[in-house]
Amino acid sequence: MITLTGLRAWLVQRATAVYMLAFIVLFLARFVIAPPRSYDEWHGLMSGAGMIAATVLFFAALLTHAWVGLRDVVLDYVHVVALRAVLLPLLALGLVALGTWIVRIFWTIGG
Amino acid sequence: MHFSIFRYNPEHDDKPYMQDFRIDLESSDLMLLDVILRIKNVQDDSLTIRRSCREGICGSDAININGRNGLACVTNVRKLREPVELRPLPSFPVVRDLVVDMSRFWKQYHSIRPYLVNDEPPPEKERLQSPAERERLDGSYECIMCGCCTSQCPSSWWNPDTFVGPAGLLQAYRFISDSRDRATGERLQDLNRDPYRLFRCRTIMNCTEVCPMGLSPSRAIERIRLRMLDVEGHGGGLARHRVPTVR
Repeated sequence: MITLTGLRAWLVQRATAVYMLAFIVLFLARFVIAPPRSYDEWHGLMSGAGMIAATVLFFAALLTHAWVGLRDVVLDYVHVVALRAVLLPLLALGLVALGTWIVRIFWTIGG
Repeated sequence: MHFSIFRYNPEHDDKPYMQDFRIDLESSDLMLLDVILRIKNVQDDSLTIRRSCREGICGSDAININGRNGLACVTNVRKLREPVELRPLPSFPVVRDLVVDMSRFWKQYHSIRPYLVNDEPPPEKERLQSPAERERLDGSYECIMCGCCTSQCPSSWWNPDTFVGPAGLLQAYRFISDSRDRATGERLQDLNRDPYRLFRCRTIMNCTEVCPMGLSPSRAIERIRLRMLDVEGHGGGLARHRVPTVR
């Protein structure tokens, strides 16, 4: 099983940050250069397969980044094992719920 | 000059307290250690501090001076803000007054195997290095193990038993970058064996900020991570920085 600890976690944290930064810059640039004039135009922009893939990837990066970062906070500050055993699954559950919600939204748009 | 010094004698005191001392500086009082020793000799001989070489090489007299770790023997006493608050190194257990127990610090240091590992038969004379290979040790071999960095590192505060700490990691880098060492792979693997030993470092850089030798443990930690990724880095040693005046 591939675990997300040590060097791998550190690397994933950086890689996701770089992707998110690039996505945000390009996304904002698109809105500044050619802002969508209507809801239909905005919907059209967000419905393209490429755009959906890039955005889903953005949120996947965001959730992974959040998992590594928040887990680090728990490892740093929460030393009681029982409390950790509650907090970490709660955290994971919350992030998975957010991920499912995001996928559902894009599923609706794509469908 | 007005001093406020942390006092704690576990044999008599229930809890620590700050004690005020006032002393007129003499022309021979150049460094903070000179004045602490005069307070001890003239006003209160029970005041306890650890010191040895008194010239910034042994690292014994590392204390917290006005909130910032430093060596009393190389701190210009006349530039300090009054009252000068002196405390033992933060986060280390106090033995008495300004003396701390450094056992945990040494345990972490020993855990990185701070010696050359090389099973090849030794040559007739010493194991030679080229000037370039020797240069790679610059910025890491100069560490005097005073503990200023580790004591001021928040990651070490939260996980002192599991995080090696900046001083230990700087020494780990010193041996990782040594051309005569044959255990580089094992050393890197050891630091990556759990999420604590190396990866609790959040690059806060207090270590680099307070190092009285102007070394940069945070840069060494960055280089260790790059070595784990098989990135060789810039080849040379680590740059040293000017040590800011403690005020």
